[in-house]
Amino acid sequence: MIRDKIFRKFSIGTVWFWLALFALIPSFLLFITSLLVQGDTELVRLQLTLDNYLRLLNTHYLRVFLRSFMLASGCTLICLFLAYPFSYLVARSSNRHKGILLLFVIIPFWTSSLIRSYAIVAILKTHGLLNTLLLALGIIKQPLQLMYTHTATLIGLVYALLPLMILPLYTNIEKLDVRLIDAARDLGARKDQVFFKVILPLTLPGILAGCLLVFLPAMTIFYIPDLLGGAKTILIGNIIQNQFLAARDWPMGATISVALTLLIGILLFIYRQRIQYQEPSYESH
Amino acid sequence: MNRISKLSYLMAIYLFLYTPIFVLIAYSFNDSSYSLLWNGFTLHWYESLLQNIHLQVVALHSLIVGVLAATGATAIGTLAAVSLYRYKFFGKKLLHGLIFVLIISPDIVTGISLLILFSTLKIDLGFWTLLLSHITFCIPFVTVTIYSRLMGQDKNIFEAAKDLGATEGTIFVKILIPLLLPAILAGWLLSFTLSMDDVIISFFVTGPDFDVLPLKIFSMVRVGIKPEINALCSIMFGLTLAIVLTYQLLTWKKQR
Amino acid sequence: MRKYLAWFICFLAVNSVLAEENVLNVYAWSGYLSENVIQQFEKETGIRINHSTYINNEILYAKLKANPYAGYDIAIPSTYFISRMIKQNLLQKIDKSKIKSLKNIDPNFLNKEYDVGNSYSVPYLWNATGIAINKKYHLIDSIKSWKDLWDSRYENQLLVLDDTRELFSVALMVLGFPVNDTNPDNIRKAFEKLKSLMSNIKLFNTDAQRSIYLDEDITLGMAWNGDIYLAQQENPNLHLIYPDEGFVISLDCLVIPKGALHVENAHRFINFILRPEIAKQVSLDSGFSTPNQAALKLLPESISTHPVLYPSARLMKKGKLQAEVGNTATVYEKYFEQLKLEN
Repeated sequence: MIRDKIFRKFSIGTVWFWLALFALIPSFLLFITSLLVQGDTELVRLQLTLDNYLRLLNTHYLRVFLRSFMLASGCTLICLFLAYPFSYLVARSSNRHKGILLLFVIIPFWTSSLIRSYAIVAILKTHGLLNTLLLALGIIKQPLQLMYTHTATLIGLVYALLPLMILPLYTNIEKLDVRLIDAARDLGARKDQVFFKVILPLTLPGILAGCLLVFLPAMTIFYIPDLLGGAKTILIGNIIQNQFLAARDWPMGATISVALTLLIGILLFIYRQRIQYQEPSYESH
Repeated sequence: MNRISKLSYLMAIYLFLYTPIFVLIAYSFNDSSYSLLWNGFTLHWYESLLQNIHLQVVALHSLIVGVLAATGATAIGTLAAVSLYRYKFFGKKLLHGLIFVLIISPDIVTGISLLILFSTLKIDLGFWTLLLSHITFCIPFVTVTIYSRLMGQDKNIFEAAKDLGATEGTIFVKILIPLLLPAILAGWLLSFTLSMDDVIISFFVTGPDFDVLPLKIFSMVRVGIKPEINALCSIMFGLTLAIVLTYQLLTWKKQR
Repeated sequence: MRKYLAWFICFLAVNSVLAEENVLNVYAWSGYLSENVIQQFEKETGIRINHSTYINNEILYAKLKANPYAGYDIAIPSTYFISRMIKQNLLQKIDKSKIKSLKNIDPNFLNKEYDVGNSYSVPYLWNATGIAINKKYHLIDSIKSWKDLWDSRYENQLLVLDDTRELFSVALMVLGFPVNDTNPDNIRKAFEKLKSLMSNIKLFNTDAQRSIYLDEDITLGMAWNGDIYLAQQENPNLHLIYPDEGFVISLDCLVIPKGALHVENAHRFINFILRPEIAKQVSLDSGFSTPNQAALKLLPESISTHPVLYPSARLMKKGKLQAEVGNTATVYEKYFEQLKLEN
């Protein structure tokens, strides 16, 4: 029993120590900073105020948030639809092949994402590879103007974040008990019934994890919209970046970051409550 | 869904993932310093890469930090996921919250707040501050991946083990780890990927004597990405491919 | 034989002890300090250079501000950041007695208000922002001034720099205001002027301008002279115009941050860079213009008289050096954000 307690304490203790030092304290500092005021020579003046939060309540920031939200959601959904069949097929393949199929997904991402983004630019450019190919095949008469559009940004985002959807989905689908599917079929379920009523609910945790890991970075990423989208539209990531760097208004940057965290947190909380309400728990009692 | 359409779907996804890589490799032979259009074949960039010791050292730094950070993050992340799933303890909700905050925090916020932390604690910037930071921002990705695999897990299995006299430690080592192995590996791979690619956080927390590859690449954007970098990425890609294929061939041979 | 071995071991021992000291931590924009120059310095002085890079002034400032003792010995910020860093005590004074060749620098670049007397900074490279134009698609004579860019025939064609000060300078110059204007009213008018330009702007980009103009994705817009000069080598259709209203000059200088660990080595580095043949190499390797007039004499004439890199003295009179705007920076930033938001 003592050994158990020690193990428990060690487990929880290690995690707590690390996160307290490197996550809790910086987050706390950040929160305090959001309550301070921009200084003239120093970065902050030690003067508490809620002004920064009040400044958030204007349509300017709301519109930027909405824009980022739409882009991130679009990216997440596309990733989900592309990754789910893929992860399913890999998870259901023979044990010999599973590992290598998965590794082959990850390997491209060990090359710098910036270089790969530039490769995408090279493909989508006016005189780039895609246009050269399509023109040569006679499919189009004029080069497609794909660069510096929302489409290009979306392609870049999906490309960068796809493995973050594939991996959690895979690990979740992989543990799916085939016998459940067989049982459902034996009971006479059609293919779509098997999918929607058995497979989908059981893989829901994987879907949620994947969506989380894609949506959150997508909200704050800035260099892909800049590189491929032409930096014409401004997103939350850009705004926060600007506050910390160009405007040197660290309190405001902190405020937007804290507000973003709270907002997404609340949305997630509401979503989880609804999911738990609708879906019966699969944990045994 | 017959085999052909299944195979074609897999192939299509792989094509999507690999086309930019092929383009990247092709351009490492491009006879032009700044253009992104094809200008002729040359091995010049590979030659200059071989002479560029700084670039090689920097790439090595990134690899070392990547491996260590991934391992550290996987260890702590696994403990975190398991603890959150199995135990009740004080501050459990707060821990959940911290994991979430770490993922959503924009890189620049994480980077600057860690820098201030190190500055206050008077820790010199360099390899250690970089490693600690990388482990920190990778932990939540590991935790989420492993936790999602744990969800829906039949808790009776732990009760049964306890009845048979197993300690928590034994349960962890003999039940949980084998059960979670795919997720642990996935978490490691994910962390390694994130660490190898991180720019903003690394920029703020590293010191003058420890430069890493993504920083070098990111700042080269300013003056033009020379195909030398493409050559470096192509070589790293080739090496990784070689290692993976060799390992697979060896394991397949063993299975025969 | 044993004697030599003993000497060798002593040499190694002494070297390893001193090795910690024989280092210089340089923080520079990538492409500003080539391997060539680094290796030459290392060979001559035996000091090893740790070369780190940053992507723009703002991020350099943020890092040094959050941690002034980050350990960098040399940095190369732009003028308007230098004046701010001096005011905020982030730099240390350069020991003038150790710097021998400041006179090599063109007096036009010395003793400016951002650092009177050059107590903290030594000019390194400068660049100018003009209008890049591709002869294949536009008549060179059709564009003479910044205000020509507002013409509706350039709808959705322009590249503008993704830099608040640079972009606002254009509008300020068109309206006849100074580029370092701190009057919020004038800045607002510049904002309104820029709003009317938005429909002509296809993209904002500072980093990849070279390849964008080279590959003819964009055929007209703002650009730095060094970038266009280098792009011209591969695409002779490119040209840079210095507009009638004037143009912005940014000057980047060597500085020693407060928390520098190897101050002596930093001074040796500055002296090294000031040497004409080194400054010439720096300029050739980076593609940008040198403020070192002694170096200018050493450059091949095709470069030292090149209209893009070194506009005539008459043209240079219209150049406007960037300076600090203090707290008005926040005003500029807010308008810049709004510009992109209302798009």
